[in-house]
Amino acid sequence: MQKQRGKLKDLIFLSITAVSAFAVIAISIGIFLVLFKESLPSMNKFGFEGFIFSTEWDPVKEIFGATPALIGTLITSFFSLILATPIAIGIAIFITEIAPNFLKSIIGTAIELLAAIPSIIYGMWGLFTLAPIMANDIEPFLQSTIGKLPLIGKLFEGTPLGVDLFTASIILSIMIIPFTASIARDSFNLTPSVLKESAYAIGATKWEVVKDIVLPYSKLGVLGGIGLSLGRALGETMAVAFVLGNLNQIPKSLLDPAATVTVKLANEFTEADKDIYLSSLYYLALLLFLMSFTILALAKIFLLKAERK
Amino acid sequence: MILNKRKIISSIALFICFLTACWGIFWLSFILVDVIRHGLSGINPDLFLKDPAPPGEEGGGLRNAFVGHFLITLFATLIGVPIGILGGTFLAEYGRKYNISKIISTLADIMVSVPAIIIGAFIYAIIVKPFGHFSGWAGAIALGIIMIPTVVRTTENMLSLIPWTLREAAFALGAPYYKVIIQVVYRGAATGILTGIILAIARVTGEAAPLLFTAFNNNYFSLNMSQPIASLTVTIFQYAMGPYEEWHAQAWGAALIITLFILFATITGRLLIKRRYKE
Repeated sequence: MQKQRGKLKDLIFLSITAVSAFAVIAISIGIFLVLFKESLPSMNKFGFEGFIFSTEWDPVKEIFGATPALIGTLITSFFSLILATPIAIGIAIFITEIAPNFLKSIIGTAIELLAAIPSIIYGMWGLFTLAPIMANDIEPFLQSTIGKLPLIGKLFEGTPLGVDLFTASIILSIMIIPFTASIARDSFNLTPSVLKESAYAIGATKWEVVKDIVLPYSKLGVLGGIGLSLGRALGETMAVAFVLGNLNQIPKSLLDPAATVTVKLANEFTEADKDIYLSSLYYLALLLFLMSFTILALAKIFLLKAERK
Repeated sequence: MILNKRKIISSIALFICFLTACWGIFWLSFILVDVIRHGLSGINPDLFLKDPAPPGEEGGGLRNAFVGHFLITLFATLIGVPIGILGGTFLAEYGRKYNISKIISTLADIMVSVPAIIIGAFIYAIIVKPFGHFSGWAGAIALGIIMIPTVVRTTENMLSLIPWTLREAAFALGAPYYKVIIQVVYRGAATGILTGIILAIARVTGEAAPLLFTAFNNNYFSLNMSQPIASLTVTIFQYAMGPYEEWHAQAWGAALIITLFILFATITGRLLIKRRYKE
């Protein structure tokens, strides 16, 4: 009797935990279905290519195109990734191979605190502190140096306002450093010390060990970390919303204000008074969800493969 | 001679790695010092005790936003944490042999990083639109959903760290599995789970994007979760983008409080876990 009651209770507990676990699946699929359903009117009206390759975003004429927002998202994400990746790997190398023990945990914690600072703080700090510095000092300086070069110089044309793609990318790059750095650090630590020691034994310098043993061995893990950072950068909202200006145009230089998918959503969602307007915003959200989900899934596959090695 | 060249290259490369670490520390201190410097000038008793003054007028505070933010976070925790812990329990205990558990676990890892604003849009469609208005509940549910994957994953990890022999000892006494989990496994993993909860709370406390079109904002003091309710993060966004100096000062004050809370929670969480799992 007692035993049977125990079995029954066990079954109940099992079901509750199982339902909770399946909630994760339900939420993920639910998000996709809801975003898909809400964007149907816009899909029917503009189609896929007609939406993605159209630059016009005119709520009055009810014509909506995603190109400027998508380009803004891609530029800020990739530019910040280019800035952040070498630095994050450098930090990981410093923590795993160079720093004395007491510094390891201090610097490790400090870098992880960078990830803990909320994005709204990054945005506010970017708007009030970084943007003026960029507009008055750094951007004019870059214009008078790199800006004079052919081709690359084009990227730095225009009036330095501080509220532009360049500032947004810098802030994003600071925000995503910790994600790549902490995963790269974990992957570096997985390198078997026998491999490293044999390299040292034949006279390799520390840098050669890092470059020729540690980095190749942890390639997959580092790639996973970069993918994770990219996924974060694509979806970052508040930090970018402060310093990008939400201007619906295809930027000609890094010093132009622009819009990203997330910034558009944050600024216009509550203003959308017509169904097709809201539906187009949902279409943008769906595209963002698919992009970041795919990239995060790829990153996760890399990380799982790296673990299995 | 060749050896020297290699040694020099090595030193330069390692020095550059050192510089990258300085780069990270530089930004962290820059941001923190700046938030503290501006924030301190914005903090006064009125900030906590008074509700906002009409735009452009002197005085007033953010009492409504502090209370609203607390309520939203509290209910988000009440929604997200139990589901997260129970879900993590399934993955680490009952379901550990099934492939579906691995899939859920991977999916949760992905969902941790899915843009928060997407969750906001999702909740807008399923809660705000059908009810016809913004509400504190919508905000709390949005944040709760953001918490679930994080808590699921930490719980799963922490439960897996409990040695299997401990469970077998309890089984041998004739205890059913649910009792083993609740009385043995949970007890062993309590610190770890607590850390997961603290870190999840720290994460959602700073979220603004999912609240923008769920809880929205409210200029008046309100405890009613079924109406729009103010939150610190949305207020910071609104005030910082606004034209008044007074608003900026208050936004900085609120930013400082949020930052301190999150850093404190994060560091506490890390210390807890370090003390518990020190080898």
